[in-house]
Amino acid sequence: MKNRKLLWHSRFAPWLFLLPTIIGLLVFRLIPIVWAFVLSFTQWSLLGSPNFVGLSNFIEAFNTEAFLQTFSNTIEFSLIYVVGSIIFGLFLAVLINIKIKSIAFFRAVIYLPVVTSAVAVGIVWNWILGPNIGLVHSILANLNITAPYWLGDPKLALTTVASVQVWKMAGYSMILFLSGLQGISAETLEAAIVDGASKVQRFFRITLPMLSPTVFFVLTVSIIDSFKNFELIYAMTKGGPQNSTNTLVYDVYLNAFVYYRVGYASAVAFVLLVFVGVLTLLNFYIKRHWAQPLE
Amino acid sequence: MSNKNFDKVNPLRFVLIIIAALIAIFPFLWMVQNSFNTEQNIFSKSVFKIPDLLFKSNMFENYQLVIGKYNFGRYTLNSVFVCGLASIGQVIICTLGGFVFARMSFKGSKVVFTLLLITLMVPVQVTIIPEYYIMMKLNWLDTFLPLIVPSFLAGAFGTFMLKEYFEQIPDALLDAGIIDGANAWKMYLHIFLPQCSAPAATLFIIAFMNNWNDLLRPMLYLTKESLYTVTLGLTQFQSQYSAKWNLLLTGSVLSILPLVIVFIFAQKYIIEGSISSGIKG
Amino acid sequence: MKKLLLAMMVILTISISSVFAGGQSEETQAKEDENIVLEWWTWDADLKEKNQEIIAAYEEKHPNVTINNTIVSTKEYWTKIRILANQNKLPDVFTMSSSTLEEWAENGLVLELDSYIDSDNTREIFYPKLLDAVKDVSATDHYYALPFALVTTTLFYNKDAFDEAGLEYPNDDWTWDDFRSAAKKLTVDKDNDGTIDQYGYWFYGRYAHVEPWVYANGGSLLNHDTMRFEPDAAALEALEMLTDLVLVDKSAPTQKDMSSVRQQDVFPLEMAAMWTDGSWNINNNRLVADPSLNWGIAKIPTGPSTDNPITYAWADSYSIAPNTKHPQEAWEFTKYVAGEGLSLDMYLVGKIPSFKALTESDAFADPNQKPAEMYILKEQADSEMTTSFTKGWSEWRGYGAAESLGLNGLIDGVINGEMSLDEALTKGTNSINTVLARYYK
Repeated sequence: MKNRKLLWHSRFAPWLFLLPTIIGLLVFRLIPIVWAFVLSFTQWSLLGSPNFVGLSNFIEAFNTEAFLQTFSNTIEFSLIYVVGSIIFGLFLAVLINIKIKSIAFFRAVIYLPVVTSAVAVGIVWNWILGPNIGLVHSILANLNITAPYWLGDPKLALTTVASVQVWKMAGYSMILFLSGLQGISAETLEAAIVDGASKVQRFFRITLPMLSPTVFFVLTVSIIDSFKNFELIYAMTKGGPQNSTNTLVYDVYLNAFVYYRVGYASAVAFVLLVFVGVLTLLNFYIKRHWAQPLE
Repeated sequence: MSNKNFDKVNPLRFVLIIIAALIAIFPFLWMVQNSFNTEQNIFSKSVFKIPDLLFKSNMFENYQLVIGKYNFGRYTLNSVFVCGLASIGQVIICTLGGFVFARMSFKGSKVVFTLLLITLMVPVQVTIIPEYYIMMKLNWLDTFLPLIVPSFLAGAFGTFMLKEYFEQIPDALLDAGIIDGANAWKMYLHIFLPQCSAPAATLFIIAFMNNWNDLLRPMLYLTKESLYTVTLGLTQFQSQYSAKWNLLLTGSVLSILPLVIVFIFAQKYIIEGSISSGIKG
Repeated sequence: MKKLLLAMMVILTISISSVFAGGQSEETQAKEDENIVLEWWTWDADLKEKNQEIIAAYEEKHPNVTINNTIVSTKEYWTKIRILANQNKLPDVFTMSSSTLEEWAENGLVLELDSYIDSDNTREIFYPKLLDAVKDVSATDHYYALPFALVTTTLFYNKDAFDEAGLEYPNDDWTWDDFRSAAKKLTVDKDNDGTIDQYGYWFYGRYAHVEPWVYANGGSLLNHDTMRFEPDAAALEALEMLTDLVLVDKSAPTQKDMSSVRQQDVFPLEMAAMWTDGSWNINNNRLVADPSLNWGIAKIPTGPSTDNPITYAWADSYSIAPNTKHPQEAWEFTKYVAGEGLSLDMYLVGKIPSFKALTESDAFADPNQKPAEMYILKEQADSEMTTSFTKGWSEWRGYGAAESLGLNGLIDGVINGEMSLDEALTKGTNSINTVLARYYK
């Protein structure tokens, strides 16, 4: 896409427009971030004043076996979340992008899990997936299948929680895709129908390429969101069993608000920030050098 | 949306829509069902807990308790006020920001935008403690301001989203504006803003939901019970030694209803926006 | 769209100004000089109305004092109050936990109460043992908190299941062997479908499930001289006995098998015939169990390695801010809310008031309510007691949001069959001592 940014405006206009954003960014976001960055070089229990300890928080993190496991859990969770929410989100958006009388109702219903509090979602899914008296267990038992411990088996728990998160958030990427789909004009699609393109061909040759800016946007947002999994993990597994669902954000919470190791929590958060930052940069790089020719 | 424009529906597609809706709504129905359970019944060990309050004279006991004794009416008003303000503000500020980043060239554009993206990536769990100190210094504790102002001003997600959208608007529109001699404000207000009702409505929905479900900030910033938001009110059902799941689920059901209303109202603009724009092609 | 925008702007301006106006009007409320205002912080939202009753009664007796009660949920209580401590803005009187008092005393964030306790009748109207329990957890020789309740751990047992199995109820002479064989006999598959419907016992890695057995055997998980994780022989014996219930006797379920129900509901729902946890669960049992179910409480059976079992118990208490402007008034009020201001219905059943008059009243052991053995709680309050709290406890033990980590998670791993007890202890010694070394050089 060719982006014409001629100087058609006064030099002050952008800054004037951005003034509220910049004030908010500075006071409520950047100052706390810089502050937290400084704290990552300290030891602080909130009670006294922070003690400067150099790099020791970072050194401790990378020398702890549990931390490395937490790191790989985080990546696995994100992978499942990003792939799942893009595929299901896109599928739902295409599915529901029609004009029928009750469509508003169906959209709202599919969006319901997004707005339901994670605590309630956790309680309900723990019931559904629980052993012995859980719903899934009972259904499978009637078919003479022994259900695994969805949340009790260290090999399965992370996949289970990540899948529930995909279930919860698919409606979110759905509405993002939906507003992108609205931008594709009916004429283009109708022209393709005249050309005799099948539905599947139309989707892959026209809809998807035209949607690529939206796909890029949802991908970026999903990557960033995929790390924000504290609430559901707290409600479902509390990081267990055997550390198998402990993620970086959960670890940040534990250290900041349960162990009161604010310095260490900040260090972990900045490890996470660097990681997400690199992924996002990569994503922007791909957008510029690869997605562009599709236009 | 006029009734004439309805699509013909492929039955298979309709069936798929219904299946998707069922998968989404099923746990919610479970919540509704359990909101008619007494505390004794909800912890029973059967798979299907047949609600023991259903069709009894005290059928709505949980709802009465939650709204009456636990004051959820007040909390709902608080939440609507806070989220409404924060989200409206976010939409306005983000359309401005998105427009600037997509359509204006100036030194520092990349720096500011990158900083904005970075703020999205830092987990709130770690910035919240410094943020708390800032709110304390501003003397904003026990007011709604810490819940409204930052969300209002620093909507990084929304700015990013609208930037992506404004970039897709054809350059012809910009050229037409330049020929008309429109200044920046007119260009924004008369030419670009009318194009963005669909993404603006989407952003409004997302911002409203995010603010509504935010728990960490209300927990830290509000101690006066009269200021509680709905999510904060829900925490009252879990204390150190006990948990009232039936009331928690009742409260959850109640807290979702306003969101459904907001969603149905706002998503109308998503569809209307598509009809008025037709901008790509 | 433009009109909508304009309307939104107007709403916005009005609302924001109203928010600011609201804030200001409250600040301008001048406080009278003669009137003493005390801030009182607690964490139990269930007691909101009761707290107001206490305040009303107290203010009537002390017309010059105004009390403001703030309730913060347990999860956020410590974060908020730590920040207040950091800013020298602590409330005058606030709830203190046995698990944190050591750290607070060390940092000088709680008022030393020795002179107040010595100067009036405190030692007569409160149980001295409980006063000392709070002194012990502070790891000093001073009083930094006034307890209002003792929480202890007991053995819950299902009398109906015992009758059905033809077993005698647990008594003071019960040995661990008696306990183990009873647990086996109480494990039954009622409908012969191959799944156990009632286990003999239920536990997982939770502190209140495991530590009572360690102390009943005279053991200790920590070496208290070096402050390192180093379970002694008696502690190991307790851990082995418990994990063997699952692994060898099969008279207790794995942790993952019980995850469909809240842990405190396994016993009252009759999925296990015996269980050990905090005494406050009496309240939940009354609520969840079938009203016709007969159940009781007993002391934890004394282990084979000792004649001198120790009760695992801890106190909930109030502390006073060191920089309060009105220490004398704050003390008077603390004594009131820990003692005569309370009534039994303000305690969760099973908590033992530190105020003698309440615990010794007839209503404490209501004969119409289960369990019939409430006197056991009183005996426990009078026995030798200990806690397991240290600095960094919630991290190494695995508590609250960290419940599936730490020692708790490791014990769960053993009973779920993911590792042996030896492996768990080796792993635990390493990680737990890393935590402890941070706090105890």
